[in-house]
Amino acid sequence: MTMTRIQCLAAVFGPVALALAATAPTPSDAAIDGVRGTSFNLTAKPAYISAPDGASIYSWGYTDGSTMQLPGPTLIVTEGSTVTITLDNELPAAAGNTSIVFPGHAVTAAGGEQGGLTREASPGGTVTYTFVADTPGTYTYHSGTDVGLQTEMGLYGALIVEPSSPAPGCTQSAYGHGGTCFDREYLFILSEIDLDIHQAVERQVAGPGPIELGEGPFASEYWLMNGRCAPDTMAAAGDLTLVHQPYNILPMMHPGDKVLARVVGAGRELHPFHFHGNHVKVLARDGDLIVSETDATALAGPDLYTIPSLPGGTVDAIFEWTGEGLGWDMYGHDADDPLEPHEDPADHGKPIPVDLPELSQMAFGGFYSGSPYLGALGSLPPGEGGLNPNAGFTYMWHSHTERELVNNDIYPGGMLTMMVIVPHWVDLP
Amino acid sequence: MSLSPRSLSKSRWLLMPVLMCASGTAVAQDSSIYVQCPDTTELHPAGGDGIKCAHLVAGDGMVTMADDGERPMYIFSYAALPDDGPVVNSPDYPGWVMDEGILAANSPAPTLAIDEDDEFFLTLTNVGMAMRPDLADPHTVHWHGFPQAAAIFDGVPDSSVSINMGASLTYYYNAQDAGTYMYHCHVEATEHMQMGMLGNLYVRPRQNKLADGTNLSGFVHQTGNTYAYNDGDGSTFYDVEYPIQLGSFDPNYHDASFQVQPLPFASMRDTFFMLNGRGYPQTVDPDPISTVDPLGKEQVSQPISSLITADAGEVILLRISNLNVTQFNTIATNGIPMTVVAEDARLLRDDAGNNLYYQTQSLTLGGGQAYDVLIDTTGLASGSTYFLYTSNLHQLANDVENFGGMMTEIRIN
Repeated sequence: MTMTRIQCLAAVFGPVALALAATAPTPSDAAIDGVRGTSFNLTAKPAYISAPDGASIYSWGYTDGSTMQLPGPTLIVTEGSTVTITLDNELPAAAGNTSIVFPGHAVTAAGGEQGGLTREASPGGTVTYTFVADTPGTYTYHSGTDVGLQTEMGLYGALIVEPSSPAPGCTQSAYGHGGTCFDREYLFILSEIDLDIHQAVERQVAGPGPIELGEGPFASEYWLMNGRCAPDTMAAAGDLTLVHQPYNILPMMHPGDKVLARVVGAGRELHPFHFHGNHVKVLARDGDLIVSETDATALAGPDLYTIPSLPGGTVDAIFEWTGEGLGWDMYGHDADDPLEPHEDPADHGKPIPVDLPELSQMAFGGFYSGSPYLGALGSLPPGEGGLNPNAGFTYMWHSHTERELVNNDIYPGGMLTMMVIVPHWVDLP
Repeated sequence: MSLSPRSLSKSRWLLMPVLMCASGTAVAQDSSIYVQCPDTTELHPAGGDGIKCAHLVAGDGMVTMADDGERPMYIFSYAALPDDGPVVNSPDYPGWVMDEGILAANSPAPTLAIDEDDEFFLTLTNVGMAMRPDLADPHTVHWHGFPQAAAIFDGVPDSSVSINMGASLTYYYNAQDAGTYMYHCHVEATEHMQMGMLGNLYVRPRQNKLADGTNLSGFVHQTGNTYAYNDGDGSTFYDVEYPIQLGSFDPNYHDASFQVQPLPFASMRDTFFMLNGRGYPQTVDPDPISTVDPLGKEQVSQPISSLITADAGEVILLRISNLNVTQFNTIATNGIPMTVVAEDARLLRDDAGNNLYYQTQSLTLGGGQAYDVLIDTTGLASGSTYFLYTSNLHQLANDVENFGGMMTEIRIN
């Protein structure tokens, strides 16, 4: 690329500003976007997805209607239910057969023809899968045919099994255990795109097949969260410019909320997923709740600041944040002001212990409110800030393999989003 | 592409004084270069050891790689200032900071080590990148993993503020949780981190300060004992500790930066694999490594040896962190097991109170992950040598030299 640094920043952060100006007052809902039920009709078909550097990338994906999406529809089912998925193959004939596997579930397949891993739908054909969703948790589903190629092309999605009833004492939980209760939940499907593979497929799909990729080397140029590269990750869900990438990821919370992060490794690379702001407590891996060997009522997952996300693996973790122990009052209270919910009484009324430099000596982030205090706006030079109208504290949640924070040759982008913690007086949907 | 310090263009030499004079004559009170380090605070009204201060500069520099040593590599990073400077915030202080800070960057950055319950005032002065006068980059410090962080001190430029050239920003941390963390610049993170703005950071537990004779579930604490965590049972006791930070550099990227060329993000491919900013055999050099900067001044460039030594019978604590920006690494020992006691600055212990420590010969960690491991040298022969090395064996290389890279020695006295 021959863009200058300034041009890159303008090109990449300009759309963020526009997207967030539009979405900030109405952030995405706390519930995970997806389809609920016991019976799903998925169709595999091609479309072009979009990257923020202007790339239009030929891909394959699933749809439960008519518009292909990447990742596929998030299937949300209830523990104990018998789930049926019917798959129609509308991929180009050169792609050959396709299928779906559901790791972690005992699947019965019907129709189609027998393939290596499961029964497959031939071009234009149909196959049906049935399984009992017997354990709550976060799972993946993906193509079981020519797996390396078809998942690279986008044939993957998440499957969420909710407990048959929430754990005692709460209204929402990831598992039946009370330690898995949450207030808000977000899904993070991590994946990559190797442009060379997608372009090679695009060149060959009009032919008779099979598709030949050569010997590589293969290397990704795009890194995705929920099918989008930053800053598109933070644009609105269902954004009309991202027709085939309907899912966004812009987590938000109040201090004291328990936020469930469902992290899915849907690609072929490992990603160290770093949470700014606080540790997360790992609840489960691959749908297995981690409990103490001596006391099944006690959780045993580690507290991490970076979750290693593994290909095909899932992690459920709880993030909490109150600002406890900062050593200063993050609301800027006077000592005789009332406490806010979840405020640390020990820090109440304590001033911030350092002076900030003069404005001319600093550079400012788009998410900076102009004030170090939560919920407070401050003066900024013209054109600075503006993405954080509720003066939340914002924390980057991203791949800590920083070379994945790019869109092809342009920084910033890739596998990152922001957690926005807003004061309790700001309503969240 | 080969380069040498002598190949500097005239235009760079002409631009240099502009930076160097930025604050040289300012009066301290009026200067944008100053340190905030109070004698007393709300939490420590009587002052004392609980208030810790440090002053880092951020800029550029050159390092010596482990291949032939003839080819300095350009980096961005932090540096500490010498001890013999003028009185902090005196009229001479800002000019001295600039003089000492320019081209002084270290790889890795200076190690930051404090105690639990410390209030830590960390001042960062951006001295500019002398070799890149075209850049006006601000810098930050991101204390990676700080629990219950405030956005203003988290060092993410998008979420808060970053400091411009010729100015200082003081970060404040109330250290409440012992453990092994790390720090780095978060401005244009892919670039500034590949360029080397990475350092070790850890917090020692308050258990170190217990009264002599305190009984820890049967383990009797003695004054001077050190522990990795507040374990309550002495199980993380150690005699000697070593921070070991994994990382790697892509020489083409660094050269492109030095030569003011478009930066190759998509083709970033690291070929120098390092522990604490050095490749083997540099890692076992006990002395600081210096490099002549482009102005002809010899500067300490890689101060931290990774040579691990212990007397037989001692317990070694390795604070292993990874700030690799391109890949995961596996780090292994040969012949002596590591006992993993903590991950990401948290003791491995379940909610029922059971220790979940485990023994292993290898750990795999990506950027932003850390492990604390203990190595008990009881029974090892005096004079024996073991290796701590990456079992990604192709990373036992210093670029095209195929014996070196991410490895060091554990020597038993």
